[in-house]
Amino acid sequence: MAVLLLFFALPNALLLSASFLKSEAQQLTDELTLENYQFLFTRPLYIWAFIRTFIVGISVGVIDVILGYPLAYFLVRTRSRWKGVLIALALAPLLASVVVRTYGWYIILNRFGVANDVLLGLGITQERIAFMPSTGAIIIGLAHALLPYTVLTIMGALQGINPNLELAAMSLGASRTRTFFHVVLPLSLPGIAGGFILAFSIAISAYATPAILGGPATQVMATAIYGFMTQLLDWSIGAALAVILVVCSMALLYAAARMGAKQAAL
Amino acid sequence: MSPWAGLRVVVIAIYVFMLGPILITAAVSFNASNRSQFPPRGFSLQWWEKAFSAEWIDPLWFSFKLGCAAAVISTLLALPLAFALARYRFPGRAAMVALTLGPLMLPALVTGVGLLQLFQYAGWREQIGFTALLVGHVVICLPFAVRTVAISLHSLPPSLELAAASLGASRARTLWHVVFPLIKSGIVAGAVFAFVHSFTDVNLSLFLVRPGEQPITVKILGFLEFGFAPTLAAVSVITLLLPLVLVAVVERLTGLGDFIYGERERV
Repeated sequence: MAVLLLFFALPNALLLSASFLKSEAQQLTDELTLENYQFLFTRPLYIWAFIRTFIVGISVGVIDVILGYPLAYFLVRTRSRWKGVLIALALAPLLASVVVRTYGWYIILNRFGVANDVLLGLGITQERIAFMPSTGAIIIGLAHALLPYTVLTIMGALQGINPNLELAAMSLGASRTRTFFHVVLPLSLPGIAGGFILAFSIAISAYATPAILGGPATQVMATAIYGFMTQLLDWSIGAALAVILVVCSMALLYAAARMGAKQAAL
Repeated sequence: MSPWAGLRVVVIAIYVFMLGPILITAAVSFNASNRSQFPPRGFSLQWWEKAFSAEWIDPLWFSFKLGCAAAVISTLLALPLAFALARYRFPGRAAMVALTLGPLMLPALVTGVGLLQLFQYAGWREQIGFTALLVGHVVICLPFAVRTVAISLHSLPPSLELAAASLGASRARTLWHVVFPLIKSGIVAGAVFAFVHSFTDVNLSLFLVRPGEQPITVKILGFLEFGFAPTLAAVSVITLLLPLVLVAVVERLTGLGDFIYGERERV
């Protein structure tokens, strides 16, 4: 407990206080100020970093729900004897670091990478396309990295649905498709929302993927924080940015917890 | 095509999306040329040879040590915490749950920044490197260990402990002879999750490294910003295989799967 207080609560409290202090020549002074926040909210570079972060977060959430739902549904309902193996395969990517998984996309998307080789080889394009650095590449990389989380969340929701409800709908004459859209889908909405928010909240704080697949022109909040802390050495602005990130991600997780509570009540 | 057959096609496509990049990485590591060509041109083990040089083995070994230490320490800390949370209702319990699961909720990146500042201001600058990394990793691994141990404690009927007590066993004896053997697989699972979490972390480690003391993920990331070589593909495959083998072995021994999947929302 003391470990957590000392090395978790204290650093975060420190961070919060540093974000309200003026810093001069890499040293914090004890002058209270809102300048750090003001600075961040008035520079187009950082405003764009906020916007880009949220675009990435929302896109990743949407893509992961769209890809994760069919997979989760399949894994919950399949009677294949490979079910265990398939579930393990879907979750195995979690054992690899995000760096390693993003690296796969680097191989595919870089200028001399697989995607360009294939497109040229098939004669679809005439010259090499710069797929990265770009926001799109960051979105694909993160959607790939976070898919297992969404799948797990949606699987949890689907498993909580009583199969008898579906049988009841079908015995009343609803087709399988109609049953899905009128019974299963609405009941699994909390899972969808939970999966979306989980992917969203992890995506906005991810550093490695934007660092690898993005560039100076595609800064997100996490890469900007890293820049302030290690290159620009302006710790109070870095701290302010970190506080903003925490507030966003806590708000999201709070929303997820509310949905979870609803889910438990159903 | 029936809806189910259609779904099957979609699912196959999703698996290709999920596993494709990983398989391509593995394939590229056997390239004969020094470009990331796929399909690989020729076959060579030269990149694998480079991957096993000190430049890469050192950070790998560093990550391994860090992961083991973080797993052992966070599991030892998790035992009393999980026990208190699972068995007792006391004032401040909610705050304790929040604090325990906090590192899971808060972005690890932010915890890393906070720890960096703490170590700097407290004058522990010299400790940045292994010690600071270990502290940070214990903090972010603790929620995993606590949750897993708490899940196995929850599935243990309290009547067993009462039975042992009614037969005259002391509290310590009951813990040692009844509770521990029964939650052993939960403890092992918690330690494995902690190890994997530590081994794959990059967001926190980023801020607490020093030259010569950096985990493999940070090393790869730093290398990627400058350029590319198929060596990295080989190194990536190694870092992927290590936790995979560990999990497969432990799964054989204890049935880890039950913890990943099934009773997740219990704490």
